[in-house]
Amino acid sequence: MMWKLVVYKEWLKIRWFLVGYTLLGILGVGYLLLTVKHDFAFSGGKNIWNSILFLGNQFFSPLKYVSLAGGLIIAIAQYFPETVNKRIKLSFHLPLGENKVLLMMHTFGAVSLLLSFVIIFGLFSGFCLIYFPVQMVIYSLITILPWVLAGFSAYFLGALIILEPHWMFRFYYSLVGGFFLTIFFVPAVTSAYSPANSGLFVLTAILSIALLFSAYRFRKGEM
Amino acid sequence: MEKVSRYLLVFIAILTLAIILPRLYWMAFEKPVRKPFILYSCINDDFMIHRISEKTWEDTKGQQYTREEYEQKLPMMFLKQLLASGTMPDSVNGVKLDMRDIAREKSFFRLKANEIDAPAPALYPLFESQSGRSMLDLPDDFFRITWRIEFIDAATNMVLEEKSQLFSATLFQYGFSFPAKTISGLATPRKSVDEGYLIVDAKDQLFHLKMIKGKPYVKTINVPEGLKFKYISCVDFKNKDFYAYLFSDKNEIYILTQGDYQFIKWPVDGFEASNCDLKIYGDLFNYTVVIEAKDHIKAIALSSGYHVINTYSETWKLKEEQTEGKIFASLFPALVSMTSDDSKFIRFYFVPSKGWNWVLFNFVLVAFHFIWLYRRKAKLKNHLADLGIVAVSGIFGFIAVHVFPGSLN
Repeated sequence: MMWKLVVYKEWLKIRWFLVGYTLLGILGVGYLLLTVKHDFAFSGGKNIWNSILFLGNQFFSPLKYVSLAGGLIIAIAQYFPETVNKRIKLSFHLPLGENKVLLMMHTFGAVSLLLSFVIIFGLFSGFCLIYFPVQMVIYSLITILPWVLAGFSAYFLGALIILEPHWMFRFYYSLVGGFFLTIFFVPAVTSAYSPANSGLFVLTAILSIALLFSAYRFRKGEM
Repeated sequence: MEKVSRYLLVFIAILTLAIILPRLYWMAFEKPVRKPFILYSCINDDFMIHRISEKTWEDTKGQQYTREEYEQKLPMMFLKQLLASGTMPDSVNGVKLDMRDIAREKSFFRLKANEIDAPAPALYPLFESQSGRSMLDLPDDFFRITWRIEFIDAATNMVLEEKSQLFSATLFQYGFSFPAKTISGLATPRKSVDEGYLIVDAKDQLFHLKMIKGKPYVKTINVPEGLKFKYISCVDFKNKDFYAYLFSDKNEIYILTQGDYQFIKWPVDGFEASNCDLKIYGDLFNYTVVIEAKDHIKAIALSSGYHVINTYSETWKLKEEQTEGKIFASLFPALVSMTSDDSKFIRFYFVPSKGWNWVLFNFVLVAFHFIWLYRRKAKLKNHLADLGIVAVSGIFGFIAVHVFPGSLN
């Protein structure tokens, strides 16, 4: 039963941010697809396909930082309130175990983010399949996947940085985290990330438990 | 669990630093290599070398030339300039020069290593080869080869079933094994004529496919036993001597002659498709093949009959062998890069430093970290892993364990 309460508490914190972000994301995808529709009408499908296949046109590039923004927004919405008056210490007093509470919070945030990304990029893929063959959509998704993983990484790193009690270390983490996120955004031709995506997925998964380190320092009043 | 999370963060930090610090180092200290521009002269039967940064023009014997003299030694390359200055010769080596012949035989080809190791396009346009029009039109549909060849209309995103069945059946009749391994062609309407695509099928057989009056033209090309091509680059030269340059898995260069589909192997050694750039300048008299590697350049002059006339090469120090590179190898045990000059793919390219000089610096960092722990009266046995991390990963690990510090107890 306790997990339901934790989930409800987290939902109360992030709900408007999550809904607002998802709606903005949907609007962004809508705008992108209106652009594609307009270009099809004015330039002709064959010229659009040709520009994507052979001239390096990445029509989906406006989505580049959408998931990164999502990760940061949810991390701030979820964890910044916990640092005000060190409220997270209240959660640590729940009869669940400190790490378990944290991982519950973290899982809830990550799953919420995942749902939001599934809606935004699912909509994008669905609309793309109207205009482009499945191979071109797959190539686009291979290119987009690192950006989505960057969204999750930004969420995990954001939580780590916000919960870190010491300002100097917050700065260090931000520096390392900021540079780390650049590896998801290396300028490249469409689908160039295909050999790297599995590695980036593993790195993102590794980051998912990074929060425990900051929380540990927070609890212990380290430094 | 906290310990595990810390070591995972240290790992992320080491990876990040191994990407960022070497990049910053080379941004600050890398010196550009100015490769010379080399062409074979049909006038003095020697290579002419233009050193662009030094603004010098010379031959392989060190004889210096003015820019005008240099251009006069290369009349096929600087035709317009010589015509403008009135210094274009009437004949070369007893051959009377005709402007149409010169224009027809002039060609330039360039291949970079990163064009070979690159994502292939998802679909290709099949042009009408005999439209009767002076300009080529981009077709309304694009094809893919999976279990069959499928043409998809770009306006409707629907498979054109009749055309797909016609071309699939024809390819099947010619013994084509689906799917295709590679599809090579000039997927642009900006070419003089269309010659379709050279396609390697699932059994490494080579086919020529084009569309003539809406119907498939398929030709099975007999490839010599044991010859496999890793990359095929189609060309559109005015003389129409050959369809393509073909690069075998043994780094041999072939051409495929137009019409009679004969393979001719060029006597060119020293080309490594995985890490060399290739330039081929063709003219009325010669081909100059220029192979550019990381630490050398090699020029080979071929006659119009593809026999070696002359070769020339220059070497220079790799950046790893220069002073900056040696300092780098003393500071950093390795670097990781997401990009490579030799590929368009994004990967985790791990490049260990040459030599073992970095071990000394790592040892200094271990000692420094040891003293740091000692002064804080930390229990050493709890920090052996950190010391090991610094010993192996050097400056990256040293920064990482301090950015994500463990408990001093």
